[in-house]
Amino acid sequence: MAATYIQAINQAMHEEMERDENVLLLGEDVGILGGAFKATEGLHAKFGSDRVVDTPIAEALIVGAGVGLAIQGMRPILEMQFIDFISCAFDQIVNTAATLRYRHGGQTACPIVIRGPCGGGVHGGLYHSQNPEAWFFHVPGLKVVAPATAYDAKGLLKAAIRDDDPVIYLEHKFLYRRIKEDLPEEEYLVPIGKAALRKEGTDLTVITYGSPMHAVMKAARDMASEVDIEVIDLRTLLPLDWKTIRASVAKTGKALIVHEARKTGGIGGEIAARIAEELFESLDGPVIRLAAKDTHNAFAAPMEDYILPNQEKVTEAIRKLAAY
Amino acid sequence: MRIDVVMPQLGESVVEGVVVKWLVQVGAVVEKDQSLLEISTDKVDAEIPSPVAGKVVEILAKEGDTVPIQEVLCRIETEAKAEPEPPPPKAEKWDEEEEGFPGAMARRSGPPIPPAPRAEAPKVAPPTPPPAPEGDKVRISPVVARMAAEHGLDVRSIPGTGIEGRVTKKDVESYLAGKPPKAPPAAPSAAKPAAAPPKAAPPPPKAKPAPPPPPPGAKVTPEGDQVVPFTPIRKMIAEHMVASKRTSPHVHTFAEVDMHKAVAFRAEKKKEGVSLTYLPFVIWAAVEALREFPILNSQVVGESTVIKKAIHMGVAVDTERGLIVPVIRNADEKSLLGVAKAVEDLAARGAAKKILPDELTGGTFSITNPGLKGNLFGTPILNQPQVGILRMGQIVKRPVVVERDGEDAIVIRPMMVLCLGYDHRVIDGVAGNGFLYRVREILEAGEFHL
Repeated sequence: MAATYIQAINQAMHEEMERDENVLLLGEDVGILGGAFKATEGLHAKFGSDRVVDTPIAEALIVGAGVGLAIQGMRPILEMQFIDFISCAFDQIVNTAATLRYRHGGQTACPIVIRGPCGGGVHGGLYHSQNPEAWFFHVPGLKVVAPATAYDAKGLLKAAIRDDDPVIYLEHKFLYRRIKEDLPEEEYLVPIGKAALRKEGTDLTVITYGSPMHAVMKAARDMASEVDIEVIDLRTLLPLDWKTIRASVAKTGKALIVHEARKTGGIGGEIAARIAEELFESLDGPVIRLAAKDTHNAFAAPMEDYILPNQEKVTEAIRKLAAY
Repeated sequence: MRIDVVMPQLGESVVEGVVVKWLVQVGAVVEKDQSLLEISTDKVDAEIPSPVAGKVVEILAKEGDTVPIQEVLCRIETEAKAEPEPPPPKAEKWDEEEEGFPGAMARRSGPPIPPAPRAEAPKVAPPTPPPAPEGDKVRISPVVARMAAEHGLDVRSIPGTGIEGRVTKKDVESYLAGKPPKAPPAAPSAAKPAAAPPKAAPPPPKAKPAPPPPPPGAKVTPEGDQVVPFTPIRKMIAEHMVASKRTSPHVHTFAEVDMHKAVAFRAEKKKEGVSLTYLPFVIWAAVEALREFPILNSQVVGESTVIKKAIHMGVAVDTERGLIVPVIRNADEKSLLGVAKAVEDLAARGAAKKILPDELTGGTFSITNPGLKGNLFGTPILNQPQVGILRMGQIVKRPVVVERDGEDAIVIRPMMVLCLGYDHRVIDGVAGNGFLYRVREILEAGEFHL
């Protein structure tokens, strides 16, 4: 049955809460309202207030409570109404959740999922458009996933819920209702840590994830006559699927990294550095990053378009690298 | 005492040579002037003699290595009792991360990696590239550098399609696969100056020979294509041809020459026991004409035309290794017989690889004679920095119209098409046509004398 990206997320939570009674949901307005974006619609009615909990507007509390529940054997899903506010829970995430297994010599796990809408393109302004993956990419003990398709949104969320480590699940709000696809009737998981090779090609590799993946795929199709692009959708950012990146860039000799998060200190920098370090002798051009400009995201549409990667910028970057 | 044997400079523009074969091994006791190894350069192949008598204690360049001039090839101890050279230190090995890519920079621990000893160096070009003239620098990516080293390629000889003519990985792949570059350099006409005169009847066609085995160094692709890396001389020819076409606007003019007087003169001399080919006739006629049209015997230097006083005639010679153009110096001071002897000498020594580097330089005009199978005509490429080149076509008997006693008559004559290629930067049509017309006149007048 065809499902939108947000429906896929909703289905994943329904299925997992049905499957395992230890799966809980905590967040602001996730219960009776069904979430600000309706991602949690129907869960309160089905599973009740004991398992679907409306919390105060306090992200540190949501994550802190989630860590405690996880230690007690639960598998809580913790919703940030906008991922921008995850910074309020930063200490709970990086000092508590991420370190738990390490501090206990591997004897304790912390199976929480922190999910929330990220990303721009919807004129949300600077507090409702952020892409915070780089902050968590730097933290051992965490996993970070960022699905770009409805299929992956569902499969990765189910895998995240079943994972014994804290997973930051970044759902791109631009994709919520803009993409729709047929999902398998039967149950499936998308493994964490495994990138998807969206298109094979020989001329250059584009490494991307999240919303810009669609612009990259469109460019790959539109530009097929001039350049044969290989497209990697990372899906999981941490741990990075280096094997897939390595195999592709070793083959094509050229790499472009496209993400919507800011350029400086972004994930693209780490990928670029590793390519330079380990694939130097395979490179036939500079490793190029296309990312948001180093500023806060704007509310005004033309300014937002100026700041974020878009179709035109993707095409331009591909053309520049292909010409080398 | 320990003596270094270095790569000699064999010719003025030669910057490196390839070690073809070692004739001695470490430990060999050698005489002074005994050949140590064979080398091949852009211009000549040569054997390197030992400068002293002694014992070979170290060989630093492997067969196949490209070695810059003045770099040490081997060392000879002049006193046999000398202690043997300690073995070179082994390059430290390190573990690559399991995930590490071959050649990755990453390494776990240990002291700094010493530079790999010369003797163990892989078959790659030396780290210091040959000095290139200013403005001839190439910027290449790491992968192109690696591929060039692996295949022993000079990147400058590969046509680049990237930004500002950069040589890309694809360009190297196409090059290795033997695909023609976008603008293929025109193949020089093969020349056989010492070719036998045409016989009355053509030789019977031979049975189709079996395809030759791949030359050494060739790779065969799964499709059966042969990938043959350029030899130094092939590379040199390719670069020279492209440079010439780029430098000079070539004009080609043709003359049909009645050779019956040359044929008759040759037959007459043969009876007297003097064997001549037709090439000396054309050289001799060209020299005469050059005296009258000195602009054809010139060079472009900056924004000036330098009209050369001496006439040094370059003669294209096809050798086993490729085309070379040795020079007959002061050809205008030689008689027809003198020219013929010089041609014979160059051809013989070219075949025996005994042409000296200096004999390949200084030509002021060139003649190319493709010989028996030279076809009707060809359009030769100038041998820079010269501004003129003559190409001989096949001499064929044809019916031609001549005037006899005021009547037109058809007669059978040995005809040859001569093609003059000239540099339109300095030579206009008047001079070009005038020169070629004069060559024809001289050949047809038949006032030959040994």
